[in-house]
Amino acid sequence: MKRANLVSWCIAFVVALILPFLVSDYWLHSLISGLFYVLMASSWNLIAGYTGQVSFAHAAFAGIGCYTSGILAVKFGIPPFFGILTGIILAALLSLTLGALCIRMGGIYLSLTTLGFSEIVRIIIQNEYKITRGTMGLKVPFLFGNYSKITAFYIMLAAVVLVLVGIYFVLKSDLGLQFRAVQNDEIAAASVGVPVVFVRLTAFVMAGSLAALAGGLYGHYLLLITPHIPSLDTMFLVLAMTVIGGMGTMAGPVVGALFLEILSEYIRVYGEFHVLVFAIVAMIFARFFPQGIVGFMGNLIKQKT
Amino acid sequence: MVDLLLYLTNGIVMGTSYALCALGVALVVGVMRVINFAHGEFYVLAGYLSATFASALHLGIFPSIAMSILCVFFVGLVVERFLIRPTYGNEMYSLIITFILYIIVENLYLFIFGPYPQKPPNWVSGSQNLFGLFYYGNQRLVSFVTAALLISIFLVVLHKTWLGRVIRAVAIDREMASLLGVNPTRINFFSFGLGCVLAGAAGIVLTPIFPVVPTVGVGISLTAFVVVVLGGMDSFLGAVVGGLILGIVENLGVAYISSGYKHLFGFVILILVLFLKPTGLFGHRQFQ
Amino acid sequence: MKRNWLKGFFVLSVSVLMLFSGALIFQSWAAEETIKIGVVGPRTGTAAATGKAFQEGIELALDRINKAGGVLGKKLEVIFEDTAGDPAKAASAIEKLITHDKVVMVVGESHSSAALAEIDVANRLKVPFIIAEAWHDDITKKNYKYVFRAGPCNSGVVNGYILGFIKDYGFKKVAIVAENTDWGLGIKELAEKGLKKAGITYTSLVTERKSQDHYAELNKIKKFGPDLILAFVYGFGVHYFIAQANEVGIVPQTALILEGAGPPSLWPEFWKTVGDAGNLELFVSRMHPAVTFTKVAKEFREAYKKKFHKPPTDYKSRSIFDVLLIAADALNRAGSTNPDKIVEALENTNLTVSSGVVRFGTTKGTYAYHQWQPPMLIIQWQDRKQVVVYPKDVATGKLRKQ
Repeated sequence: MKRANLVSWCIAFVVALILPFLVSDYWLHSLISGLFYVLMASSWNLIAGYTGQVSFAHAAFAGIGCYTSGILAVKFGIPPFFGILTGIILAALLSLTLGALCIRMGGIYLSLTTLGFSEIVRIIIQNEYKITRGTMGLKVPFLFGNYSKITAFYIMLAAVVLVLVGIYFVLKSDLGLQFRAVQNDEIAAASVGVPVVFVRLTAFVMAGSLAALAGGLYGHYLLLITPHIPSLDTMFLVLAMTVIGGMGTMAGPVVGALFLEILSEYIRVYGEFHVLVFAIVAMIFARFFPQGIVGFMGNLIKQKT
Repeated sequence: MVDLLLYLTNGIVMGTSYALCALGVALVVGVMRVINFAHGEFYVLAGYLSATFASALHLGIFPSIAMSILCVFFVGLVVERFLIRPTYGNEMYSLIITFILYIIVENLYLFIFGPYPQKPPNWVSGSQNLFGLFYYGNQRLVSFVTAALLISIFLVVLHKTWLGRVIRAVAIDREMASLLGVNPTRINFFSFGLGCVLAGAAGIVLTPIFPVVPTVGVGISLTAFVVVVLGGMDSFLGAVVGGLILGIVENLGVAYISSGYKHLFGFVILILVLFLKPTGLFGHRQFQ
Repeated sequence: MKRNWLKGFFVLSVSVLMLFSGALIFQSWAAEETIKIGVVGPRTGTAAATGKAFQEGIELALDRINKAGGVLGKKLEVIFEDTAGDPAKAASAIEKLITHDKVVMVVGESHSSAALAEIDVANRLKVPFIIAEAWHDDITKKNYKYVFRAGPCNSGVVNGYILGFIKDYGFKKVAIVAENTDWGLGIKELAEKGLKKAGITYTSLVTERKSQDHYAELNKIKKFGPDLILAFVYGFGVHYFIAQANEVGIVPQTALILEGAGPPSLWPEFWKTVGDAGNLELFVSRMHPAVTFTKVAKEFREAYKKKFHKPPTDYKSRSIFDVLLIAADALNRAGSTNPDKIVEALENTNLTVSSGVVRFGTTKGTYAYHQWQPPMLIIQWQDRKQVVVYPKDVATGKLRKQ
């Protein structure tokens, strides 16, 4: 990592550490949501940005994470910590199965299969209302102890830091090189001995488990989980954040998630139409600045120096 | 027995419209290798336009249908030119672009037409006693006949005319076709518009029965994807058969399993097909 | 050249964003000091029409309250936050109203599932919350100190009106269709219990709020052969249900249908979708031009006509109007914005609003705590005219079965 980059990451981290003492309760809520989306977008970026596969099941895996843990907590009184862990394991197993099923075929088949899977998850959660309470929403306990936004913020922040550091080391390792090799030219990668299917599957399972972690934490912070979490609407937000921030970069999803979360606070007055604004911004980026904010800024700096 | 017959009838009637809509996806996938996430939004557009033309401009049913189809075609061309064309050859890019497009258009509908359902006037009213066993809405029967007719016309055009041959040639082998003097960009342009028209036609046929709301589009797109995967991505016949199968399975499932799971059956089929026979029922090759 | 254009575009969009935020800050700075009440309700989603009705009611209530001098000597301001009918969004909407906009009270809501999520937040943050139109018994049964309901509850509607209607008009066989939400499942259960007690045969089906094709369900109902269908489906789904029930020959050929919520039968889209199948349809309502419970009802009607140039249709515009009057009255009597004082004032409410004289129950233990059940009406569409058929003492016509 370049020195300048390291310094900016550290500054961001320190700012994040003291932030809860500077902002109101209301903004703290936005920040926690923002951190949830940072987790979601960063892990989705792992498959979409680094191995070039568009999965639509990311929100569904978050849903699996929060509903597993939520149901375990409500029905059996299992503490959220173990519940979230169970959710992650379940999501990992499911993504392994799903990935084994469709990753061999790659490309569009993966997108369609994950789309189907995502809808199946949502429909089951919506219909098994006796267990999940469907669209009525399931009330779940707080992460631990008494409800406190500051606690939730620091737990979320810790998860984000751990996940980002983890992703950084994965990308720096041989596996990370293989990710990119698979994205750039699958056939060439295979010909030099990169196990294409294995590499893709690894990325897919990693992303799925991280989504479950994000979903589980967020659900126990919100205290109420609904099928909105595993919906295509959430999926769109994750996709838009990654695209706007910059696919295939470490900082992209972080910048994109925080950018959209803050933007959403400012355009709340337009109520129902803020999704429209998001989508238009996302389209402008996808169409004219496919490298996103981070890539675009990077280019500007490069041009100047 | 009477029940079963009712469910089968309903399945075939719905399935025919699924097939009509899915033909559009099959065309766009076959020719351009693009999965258009916003496919269902053209269904919605046709529904809204025909309702608006009929109620606001006091046009008759058929002039408003013709005008809506024409508008859908031009909107389709504009989308192709400005959003799809830059993505040629990069299927992931086109998927992301059309996914964002679907969110934009859905919210635009909400902005323009409001959240209330809109419904073009019924072509016919009342109901028929079918086989002397049960009552069945006349509009559903007329919609079914129209959809079946449109599918036949499309298949005839595809197989018997010069235009159809060119489209099929590009679908089978792009490079070969361009060597033989076909301009693939122009065929893409036209095929995308035509694909949108097929979605629009399904919208015209179905919206008198199920009024449009801004959010129905994505469900229509997903259904069409299931049909196309089931039938085989490179097969037009497959889209027709796939549509009928899905219609029947959904209705039997609703009747004998649960109505809440109506849309689940399609996605289970989707995953099963991809697992057991990725080329679909009638497809020959995998889509790369 | 092209690069420059792109860069210009980027700079432009960023500066537009900054302008927007600047304008927002200015707006909040320039505003005069007011007392703020929050409203929660669905402005988007399947029941967005309710949001529109709420908006109308809010405007009329603000006109009336501010003309009479506002609250606590200041102007009353209402902030209407969207819930989209989704419990998670509802919880964050009410939290935003309380922590960000600093409202002193919250009123509104028309979805039970959303309300059940919101009451936890209101109670946790200790801000009085008056519910207008979320009917589930549990909302007040939880006996939260800060939660009130000046509107119908499932028990009140079923036991006080629907069961009486069924018995008085001698219906023999009832099919219940309910959506899978807190309201639908809750009211279905109450209706089943009541019908069982009354010895009336019934069957029930649970359906999805958004589903469009009901042929399979209708086939089952047809085999059962009821003379009344109770439809507890909120939103446009009930329109499709009625239109298709007519196609397959059930309503009004062999059975009548009673829509258990009301507003969907009054939305302008109703007749477009159901056509002649809507004739003889019954629905629950709180408002009819010929039935004026109080003087305020008449004034509401006149003010509405003057402002919107049409007669009021969706009764939920009046429901929100009423709860805002109740809120303003309580604030004035409390003499401060202290939440405990407001609760005390609310408990001593004795105010005439458009649908009657409001008095909240104060005995803990049941759903009647902090609950006021307004009078309801059962109305039948007869040749596109609303005819009140129940309760019989306010009826404006006879029930027609064919």
